[in-house]
Amino acid sequence: MTIPTEHSRRWNGYLLTWRLPMIVWQVLFFLVPLIFMVVLSFWLVKNYRMEPALVGINWSKMMSRDYFWDAYWRTLALAAGATVVTSLLAFPASFALAFKVSENARRWAVFLLIIPFFTSYIVRAYAWQVILAQSGVINSLFSMVGLGPYTMLNSAFGTIVGYLALTLPLVVVLQTFSLASIDRSLIEAAHNLGCGRIKTVFLVILPLAKIGFIVGALFCFILSFGDFVSPYYLGGSKPPTLSILIIDTTKSGQQWPRAAVVAVTMIVTLFIIAFTAVTLAYRKPGRT
Amino acid sequence: MSRDRSLLWFLRLYLLAVFGFVFAPIVASLVFSFNSDRFPTIPLGSFTFKWYVQVWGNESMREAMLNSVIVAAVVSVASTFIGFCTAYTDYRYRFFGKNLYLGLALLPPTIPLVIMGLAMLAWLSRIGLSGHIWSVMIAHTVMCSPFAMAVIRLRLAQMDENLEPAAWNLGATEWGAMRHVVLPFTMPAIVAALCLTAAVSFDEFAVAWFVSGINKTVPVVILEILQGNVDPQINAIGTFVFMTSMTLIVFAQVLLLTRQKKQVGTNE
Amino acid sequence: MSEVLVEFDNAVKRFGSVEAVKRMNLEIYRGEFLALMGSSGCGKTTTLRMLAGLEKPTEGQVRLSGKEMNDVGAHERDTPMVWQSLALFPFLNARENVEFGLRMRGVKKAERSRRALEWLARMDIGDLAERDVAQLSGGQRQRVALARSLVTEPELLLLDEPLSALDANLVIRMQGVLTRLQRELGITFVYVTHSQSEAFAMANRIVIMNEGEIAQIGSPKEIYRTPSNRFVAQFVGRNNILTGEVTSQDGRSVSVRTELGEFNMPATAEASSLLGQSISFVVGADRVALNRQPRGSVNELSCQLISEEFIGSVVTLYLEAPDGTELKAQIQQRELDEINPEPGMSLWLSWEPSQTHILPH
Repeated sequence: MTIPTEHSRRWNGYLLTWRLPMIVWQVLFFLVPLIFMVVLSFWLVKNYRMEPALVGINWSKMMSRDYFWDAYWRTLALAAGATVVTSLLAFPASFALAFKVSENARRWAVFLLIIPFFTSYIVRAYAWQVILAQSGVINSLFSMVGLGPYTMLNSAFGTIVGYLALTLPLVVVLQTFSLASIDRSLIEAAHNLGCGRIKTVFLVILPLAKIGFIVGALFCFILSFGDFVSPYYLGGSKPPTLSILIIDTTKSGQQWPRAAVVAVTMIVTLFIIAFTAVTLAYRKPGRT
Repeated sequence: MSRDRSLLWFLRLYLLAVFGFVFAPIVASLVFSFNSDRFPTIPLGSFTFKWYVQVWGNESMREAMLNSVIVAAVVSVASTFIGFCTAYTDYRYRFFGKNLYLGLALLPPTIPLVIMGLAMLAWLSRIGLSGHIWSVMIAHTVMCSPFAMAVIRLRLAQMDENLEPAAWNLGATEWGAMRHVVLPFTMPAIVAALCLTAAVSFDEFAVAWFVSGINKTVPVVILEILQGNVDPQINAIGTFVFMTSMTLIVFAQVLLLTRQKKQVGTNE
Repeated sequence: MSEVLVEFDNAVKRFGSVEAVKRMNLEIYRGEFLALMGSSGCGKTTTLRMLAGLEKPTEGQVRLSGKEMNDVGAHERDTPMVWQSLALFPFLNARENVEFGLRMRGVKKAERSRRALEWLARMDIGDLAERDVAQLSGGQRQRVALARSLVTEPELLLLDEPLSALDANLVIRMQGVLTRLQRELGITFVYVTHSQSEAFAMANRIVIMNEGEIAQIGSPKEIYRTPSNRFVAQFVGRNNILTGEVTSQDGRSVSVRTELGEFNMPATAEASSLLGQSISFVVGADRVALNRQPRGSVNELSCQLISEEFIGSVVTLYLEAPDGTELKAQIQQRELDEINPEPGMSLWLSWEPSQTHILPH
């Protein structure tokens, strides 16, 4: 699509009215807070009050603590695990939606999947807490057939279920779009050349859908890495994830600079992962 | 061909399972909100409205609901406005640094909520804007405007690039073309954006928790209740919250989808 | 002598390093139907947009009724345009679309409604006034677009390939509508197109553009019969173009020797002075005769039939001369039946000297 005509090359009130608001708002209330948070990580806390400074003590203290690194690797592992699990569990569903149902059904499915994504995550997490509890819905059903009770909460399992509830709809939708936009004639060509159905999936379909799948996995990772609700309410909150660490440090400890250190570490990690993922996604074939 | 058929049935059942998983908590909340037992489990007790009555009778709960509604209303207008500005600027103009501009606009959803909460809390406190109801409004506007931008931008992409020039050509100034052409054309998307951002704001708890202080919104109240014991009121509150956001989202989607079929306005 | 309505005075339009329009000098007269013709990228649309105020000339001026327009915004000009995509407002019905220009001028509701309905009736779609644009057919939408531009009774109407997306029979009908409208209203039409048949059917004057420059301006007949350069000769009509050396001249005719033989043609002052030098000349495909046997005409050459193209009752035959030159002959269906040719067959192409046009050097 071509850019429409420049009505006037000059900067006029009209242009500025539309261009400025976002810039002003985002800088004031998005960029600056984030930059301030980084700055904050270098401040001192004396007698429960914060003082502007440029000291590395928050960093050195935090980085030397075992519980910090435990939390770091634990969060990373949980998020990575959730990403793998979600991507795998989403695939049969997205495959079905892209190839095995009518276009109308697919639209309805996406329509329905988008809804829970925009409803209160915290209430859904609470509901899962209730469903997975020792005497909750699932265990009651199991006891009716003489099984269980199984401990599902206060464990990595609970946390992963929570992450799934958060990210599964999004990943399914992203994968579906990706698969649905594949040129069907490529798949037919593969079959025509003797490639079996399952092999086609791995040799043709997935490489073609690579970008959408990687983007979906990336979003899943980012959301899981930063979430505190699932580890807190479904995972037992101990040992803590980085997000829980931030909350504890902020709410109870008032140690905002320390919390800032954790936050900055998280952002840097996410940035590196996102960068790697995008590079992988858009890398041209033939350079492997 | 029976291997194909069994694969098909497996996939369809799988889909149903996924939908079941995704909607289970919503359904559970709904069912248990009418359940007389304190603790939600099977078998069910008797049907009752008492939890809804209790929630409604709770003064601080009603206050929180009012806060949530006010915040959502203000946020939806503010973020839709900002989203529109960004979408229109992206549609109409080419300029140096446009990628940075778009990056700035679309980055918020990629930052984890806890971090946003902390950053907002720290900064707003520093400038004395924390702990008020507008603190939540400010933070939510930042977080919701990317959604509004995306929705409106998609709609603008459907607009014939000659529509604005045609309006100028017929005597409309730039402002006139905006008023008589661009706004009418994008109105469905604007309304959809209003609904969408209202829903997002209504449900947002993490950042609100950090910055709201004593002026709590509903999700914040929920968070605090959850830190205590099992409280069946949650189901009633939860169902109410679900119904509100779901209605908004369904309405927004309907608006965006039905209009699409009608549109193009080109020479066909 | 007609009054000059529009003047392009050394107008240049550059986009970055690309020169879309290079030094345009053009006068457009009041009341004429002018076509700007050329292939994609020749600069015709850019020229039109400069007139409309949608592009500002990088250099030079555009004048309307003597007034300099460079700094006048698009919305301040009275140059309504019919767009290629029609650009009808999808959220307004037919009548509201037509009223738009009047609304922008502050015309009151009752008045603008009346005028809009009048114009819709004039375009024979009065009963479709309240219909949504999406429910109209292509031809009906065309008429709404036309009414919308004409309702303000402008002096000048700009049209940017408005018929390019219509079915062939609709095109013919709309051409009639446009021609009739222009003659009745006396409005100056500036019509951009890449289609020869449209330009020739409707325009008083045609401006042929090539790579940002004017190749020739003239009436359809002038352009068709006396192209002023090789580009126009190749672009317009079906012409045979041959090149050779002037061997002799006797004041009234010249002889030119080409690879395919020596040919006679009426002398021009220029050709007579180019003895011994190379010139090109043009013979229209509809001016040649084809026979199975040589007839001994003054201008005759042998060629081979390659293919035929039927356009109704007229057939175009594509032939190849011994040196590879592509030749064309346009003959009536019945003449074709008399010759009864087959591809690969040898034929003799001949023409009267008077039918030759020498291209200016």
